[in-house]
Amino acid sequence: MSQTVAVLKRVGLILGLPAVLVATWWFTSADSQEFYQPPLSKIVEVFPKTWTSQRIVDDVVPSLGRFVVGFLLAVATGIAVGVAIGSNRALRAFFEPVLEFLRAIPPPVLVPILILVAGIGNDQKVLVIVSGAIWPVLLNTIEGVRSVDPVLVDTCRSYRVRGALRLRMFVLRAASPQIMTGVRQAQQIALILMVISELVAAENGLGYSIVQFQRGFQIPEMWSGVIVLGVIGVLLALLLRLVERRVLVWYHGVRAAERSQR
Amino acid sequence: MIRKTSAFIATTLLVASMAACSSSSTPNAPSSSGPAVDDKVTVGVIAILDVAPIYLGRDKGIFHKHGIELTMQQAQGGAAIVPAVVSGQYQFGFSNVVSLLLAKSQNVPIKAVANGNNSTGSTSADFGGLFVKDPNIKSPKDLVGKKVATNTLKNIVDTTVKAIVAKDGGDASKVNFVELAFPNMAPALDAGNVDAIFVVEPFLSAAKAKGWKQIGSYADVDPNLCVALYFTSTQLMTQKPDLVKRFTDAMKESLAYAQTHPDEARAELTTYTTIKADDTKNLILPKWPGDIDKTSIDKLAGLAVTYGLLTSKPDLTTLLP
Amino acid sequence: MTQAIAKGRTGAPPVLLGAAGLVAFVGLFEVLPRVGILPEAYFPTASTIGRTMATLVTESSFWVSFGETVQTWALGLAIAVAAGIVLGVVIGTVPVLRAATASTIEFLRPIPSVALIPLVIVLVGTDMESTLILVVYASFWQMLIQVLYGVADVDPVARETALSYRLGPWDRIRYLVFPTALPYALTGVRLAASVALILAVTGELVIGSPGLGHDIETANSSNSIPRVYALIVVTGLIGLAANLVARAVERYALAWHPSVRADVPA
Repeated sequence: MSQTVAVLKRVGLILGLPAVLVATWWFTSADSQEFYQPPLSKIVEVFPKTWTSQRIVDDVVPSLGRFVVGFLLAVATGIAVGVAIGSNRALRAFFEPVLEFLRAIPPPVLVPILILVAGIGNDQKVLVIVSGAIWPVLLNTIEGVRSVDPVLVDTCRSYRVRGALRLRMFVLRAASPQIMTGVRQAQQIALILMVISELVAAENGLGYSIVQFQRGFQIPEMWSGVIVLGVIGVLLALLLRLVERRVLVWYHGVRAAERSQR
Repeated sequence: MIRKTSAFIATTLLVASMAACSSSSTPNAPSSSGPAVDDKVTVGVIAILDVAPIYLGRDKGIFHKHGIELTMQQAQGGAAIVPAVVSGQYQFGFSNVVSLLLAKSQNVPIKAVANGNNSTGSTSADFGGLFVKDPNIKSPKDLVGKKVATNTLKNIVDTTVKAIVAKDGGDASKVNFVELAFPNMAPALDAGNVDAIFVVEPFLSAAKAKGWKQIGSYADVDPNLCVALYFTSTQLMTQKPDLVKRFTDAMKESLAYAQTHPDEARAELTTYTTIKADDTKNLILPKWPGDIDKTSIDKLAGLAVTYGLLTSKPDLTTLLP
Repeated sequence: MTQAIAKGRTGAPPVLLGAAGLVAFVGLFEVLPRVGILPEAYFPTASTIGRTMATLVTESSFWVSFGETVQTWALGLAIAVAAGIVLGVVIGTVPVLRAATASTIEFLRPIPSVALIPLVIVLVGTDMESTLILVVYASFWQMLIQVLYGVADVDPVARETALSYRLGPWDRIRYLVFPTALPYALTGVRLAASVALILAVTGELVIGSPGLGHDIETANSSNSIPRVYALIVVTGLIGLAANLVARAVERYALAWHPSVRADVPA
């Protein structure tokens, strides 16, 4: 009996506030005469008509495809370059000011330049995503590689662990919590840039669809697109968290042990 | 201690910024005042040749004569102007006819009040034209399967291009459109990122200067094609009908003035765009008749239905004055 | 042994190396366009950009835009930080609230702020207010999450001691929550500041509200490429300056805090 109560309480806590918020939106917008603030009921109504499997294939899939390619490229390049730079004190000092400057540039302002340089196709859009998402990965990798436990450094030296084995077993693993922080930030930035790259000079995509609905004055459809975008953001974040839990399973164990000792 | 300092800094920033922020005011709604004070009116426009008459009307005192103090706000296209007019941020706006037809079909509460501009009627000397760089594209029907740049999708430009292709015997539905701002079109065509561009002055003269071939224009759709209109919200029409009437009269006068004083219209361009005075001399000016050409608008509505932009023709009597 | 090696570092000091890096970067940007490896039409030389920047700072319109961007950024950041601290402390210290809002926060947080752009254009307009909404929305979450972490990190033993000594809620916040949460809050401010600047410039670029982002778009429309680059450099410098200031504030405010691990080459 008390277990049912516990489960109910859990579900109530998770769904309670969201349900209240959605209900508030539903009822306050129900009588809306504002053209640009349609009732929530209308938005829900157009959902199945708008997001047909055809549209998902035509627009959502290309968007996500570009996101995945750009994101993975940014992560791979960021980690590779970050390990190289982070392992060498001189390289770190040499590159630090330049990298700090480059990462401070808001990525969307590079879009006009990237259009000139790379055209208006998928290559350019992926490039936009990489140009912004690489920085958190790169800088966090450098930071992670830089600050590893000196005891472990000595241990590796004593046991003459070098080269690829040292890289995989020691450097990457020790730096992985920091790297994952960077990867998380990169995912958020990559999603933002995916949308921005589709606001200008695009032929398909989620961001493109939202803009087209606005152009055609189909406002409930536009709102539905915004909601879809939000949901995708949430799902991606969840996905990444699952990956993180897997990759950092050793780290979470260590931290839990530390905390229980406190 | 540290907390107090940071709290103090945050509060000061907040207060200072709010004070500064409130001084950059949004345009206020026009006041129904006596004849001494002009009504403040904001109009949303695009920084192109088409709107030279309204700038001219303001600078020549035509609007002041009708008791209106005009401020123009530039936007990229009708997409940003229409919501701003509906919300009351702007009192009037400038938009191409097709976007207005689309808005009407979706029951956006707007109404056209005055003519904007029309085609010159000459297919070789119009103010808007379709250009290609590739010598292999000899006529519009060769554009089937190719990429054409338009400044915004679902507006008069892509409808015109489709009509041009269809007139030449090509399948209009098989032409691909990409949205690019006018200034970005020439570099895109140069680099081969698109196969054709539809530009208006001043970009048209620039395209001609590059030696690109023109294969179509607004005049191909209709010699008297009405390209754009000035519009307002239905709310303003019911609340301030007198203001709307005065605006319409002032606009008609400004259009007539621009039509009869082309050189002054050209000179006006340098005040609201980045075009240099020397480059204005050879620009082709649109026609600026005072009356709205309803026939061509009806034709556009039909084309919009044919190309799937609209499901049915909207009731033009409620849209047009 | 490692310490000795660390102390006996050979090679140039980091500051010189950093300066060398900057010089190399600028030099690359000077040489490559000249030589033609990078097309000069799209990649003006560093000296051209420099000259354009020198012209920029003499134009009053530039400083007006500069002021607009900084104002949007600072105001949005201030609102986000204040809201983040207040809500973070309130939610963090009341367990029921924490549990009840967890799902909402986890759902709203990852929504990309750019998704709001079409909404904000049609609902609020294309002025500074729209960009401000974007800035506040994005930076608020950064701040809130960090404050929540900070409040949750309070040492349980210390907390119980405070309760035993019957410290009231206000005192608990002052002596317990605040010192623990401060490092997190400052990290939050740094992250929020960076996000706020990005959103401010992005908003100006995409929505068209007044500021440096809008100027970049205008310069792009007139095909004044060196000007576009010059403005980009300016926004980068602003971001850099903000980051340095945030780090300096962190170092000053956290001077009493046990410091982070030493710098040892991997």
